[in-house]
Amino acid sequence: MHVRFWVAVGLGAALAAAPATSADDDLAKALATLKAVGKEGKGNEDAGPAWKAVVGKGGAALMPTLGAVDDAHPTAANWLRTAAGAVAEAERTAGRALPAKTLEAFATDTRHAPSARRLAYELLLTQDPAAKARLLPGFINDKSPDLRRDAVAARMAELDDISKPVTRADYEKLLPFARDKDQVEFLAKAIDKLGGRASTTEHFGFVTAAHLVGPFDAPESKGYTTAYPPDAATAPDGAFKGKDGAEVKWAPAATADRYGTFDLNKLLGKHKNAVAYALAVVVAPAETPCEVRVTSPTSVKTYLNGKEIFGRDEYHHGDPFDAHTGRGTLKKGENVVVVKVCQNDQPQPWAQRWQFQVRVCDDTGGALPLEQKAVVDGQPKTVKLGYNPTPAADPKEEKK
Amino acid sequence: MTRSSLAVFLTLALAPALPAADWPQFRGPNGNGVSDEKGLPVEWGKDKGVKWKAELPGRGVSSPVVAGGRVYVTCSNGKRDDRLHVLCFDAATGKQLWHRQLQATGNTAAHPKSCMAANTPAADGEGVYALFATGDLAAFDADGTLRWYRSLVGDYPTVTNVVGMASSPVLVRDRLVVPMENAGESFLAAVDTKYGKNLWKAERPQGTNWTTPLVRQAGAVTEVLFAGPGGLTAYDAATGTSRWTAKSAVGSVPSGAIDGDTIYLPVAGVSRFKLGPDGLGEKPAWEAKEAQTGYPSPVVYAGKVFACGSQGFVTCADAKTGKVLYKERVKGAFSASPVAGDGKVYCLNETGSCTVLDATADDFTPLATNDLGGDTLGTPAIANGLVFIRNDKMLYAVGK
Repeated sequence: MHVRFWVAVGLGAALAAAPATSADDDLAKALATLKAVGKEGKGNEDAGPAWKAVVGKGGAALMPTLGAVDDAHPTAANWLRTAAGAVAEAERTAGRALPAKTLEAFATDTRHAPSARRLAYELLLTQDPAAKARLLPGFINDKSPDLRRDAVAARMAELDDISKPVTRADYEKLLPFARDKDQVEFLAKAIDKLGGRASTTEHFGFVTAAHLVGPFDAPESKGYTTAYPPDAATAPDGAFKGKDGAEVKWAPAATADRYGTFDLNKLLGKHKNAVAYALAVVVAPAETPCEVRVTSPTSVKTYLNGKEIFGRDEYHHGDPFDAHTGRGTLKKGENVVVVKVCQNDQPQPWAQRWQFQVRVCDDTGGALPLEQKAVVDGQPKTVKLGYNPTPAADPKEEKK
Repeated sequence: MTRSSLAVFLTLALAPALPAADWPQFRGPNGNGVSDEKGLPVEWGKDKGVKWKAELPGRGVSSPVVAGGRVYVTCSNGKRDDRLHVLCFDAATGKQLWHRQLQATGNTAAHPKSCMAANTPAADGEGVYALFATGDLAAFDADGTLRWYRSLVGDYPTVTNVVGMASSPVLVRDRLVVPMENAGESFLAAVDTKYGKNLWKAERPQGTNWTTPLVRQAGAVTEVLFAGPGGLTAYDAATGTSRWTAKSAVGSVPSGAIDGDTIYLPVAGVSRFKLGPDGLGEKPAWEAKEAQTGYPSPVVYAGKVFACGSQGFVTCADAKTGKVLYKERVKGAFSASPVAGDGKVYCLNETGSCTVLDATADDFTPLATNDLGGDTLGTPAIANGLVFIRNDKMLYAVGK
């Protein structure tokens, strides 16, 4: 009897397990097909049917599909993301609940891809709106910019509640977690109003001291594609033939702007069809992966330790914050960041700005423990990146 | 089945998949903003004349498109404007049928007026083809199944700019023509509608260009006419070969309109050119310099040219002579292009106020001014006896 019983149990289990394994295999194959798509539509013939197969698996496919985003490249991630969304939509339409606990576990597990975690969090909220208040505090230092932003916004809203006492320390405690300029601006002003001092240049890690050289001649607005001696410079050394044959040399410059703006029209004079270079020495305590983020209304190239890490040839289309991001690794000790800033010959009044901001930060946009070489009181010194003892007044505040 | 009924059946079966009532792409079935629909609405408001309305998850400069009884809309949202949405509604009831989301893979910087959902999608009997200003391009079938997807920035990494991209794709039988002129690798490409793979890819100059290609039959050749800062170039839709360029017919934001062997271009106000088999006549037949267009494209209807300017002027000129019949300031500035049908011209301004003009009158004859409110930059669609209007929050089906 015992033998018969266990045989029966074994057969039953095998029968039950066999289709599940097959289904799992099918799903795994379909997900692998989605992750295998390549450039210019490579793999699309197979990916279309695979997408249908994934969605056809129903709710069982939701978490594996979200998990597959972890090591997917951006193109594959969108195949997966849309599939996960379609699965969730079908489940809701059919009146079936999403797996709230599993989604919450996924959303809070920082080993998963930030974009997939964000999607899991949003799906969770459709099932369990109360999860928002429960989970947001834990996202305050998150890799996902959207989760972090929401967490900071939620805390800002709490501090804005006039029925509760709030201190400067509350804002000072929150500021280090903020990454978006509007939130940083809000918190810095709140701290200032309460008698403190929040340095936006230090918060963002702006270069505030550099050497400049220029202008170089750039006929026909071809400065971006023209090579000049300071390209990929590793030290502020040398004298060069500049615009109209004039000799130009590296010279130290600093900015007191709250957002690290170097106004080249003021520092080098107004020039058209011109190129200038800025060189900053950034000191790292250890080898550190970093992003070098540049904001400029004109064409720029960025070099880190002699290697070009970013380039964009575009003039006077606006200068969204952090639009030009290059990635690299700082070595321990001194690192040289060079920014090539071009100006064209557009005559319009709105096309006269020639300026840049550059900051060195982590991949969330947060400041790193870095220093920069600067000249302070006439003496060369190593100071904190973003060092700005006398920040210029906010022009908006001045107007008021 | 009788012989005659078989003939009727075959005729219907071989007819194009799209009925005339559809509005499958930017500015309608012929890309000129004109509909053959009758019984179109004159008066409406927030509380009257709206058949249905539906909430949208984000902004959009793109138009709704209508095909096979479905309305497709694109939106973008998020702090970084990197959440891309494609939604499908039942055209008759407004019921949301599906909603898919993509994560932007390209740069999301743009002029503040624009956003990543700036390009109008194209639709056919198979479904919808949604292009975003981030270079994300996805094809969904009518039920929301992802047929294929491409990241054009993944394919061509320099594709992007910081002012935004808004040119819309157009369908030419089994191929989708994708305009991608920007500060990086610029091209006009045709991809197959089945898998999204390149059929041809024609190099284009780098720059800002928000015009949408026009399509015409030139003898045995189907031409794609694409205007840009360097002029108007005709490409063979089959091969991508450049057939001719008219350098004087430059374009940047608004698009032209073809009416038989005549093309009306937003050059020097609006200009009328003879469109021969080998290109444009050297000089325009007329120039209506008073008909300033700004962002909106002109519409040619009922023997007249109507232009809505950024400053809020509506100009009407005789299509044969270019004689300006009237120029009147109406409520608000325009970004949406005017559309026409059933003897009316719909001029939708940026605040959701739509002036309905009697197109048959030679003098300024407004029939109604209807206000739905909301930031409204997308061009309306006309289909199924309804006018579809989208703003940054809502989609409205106006009419009975």
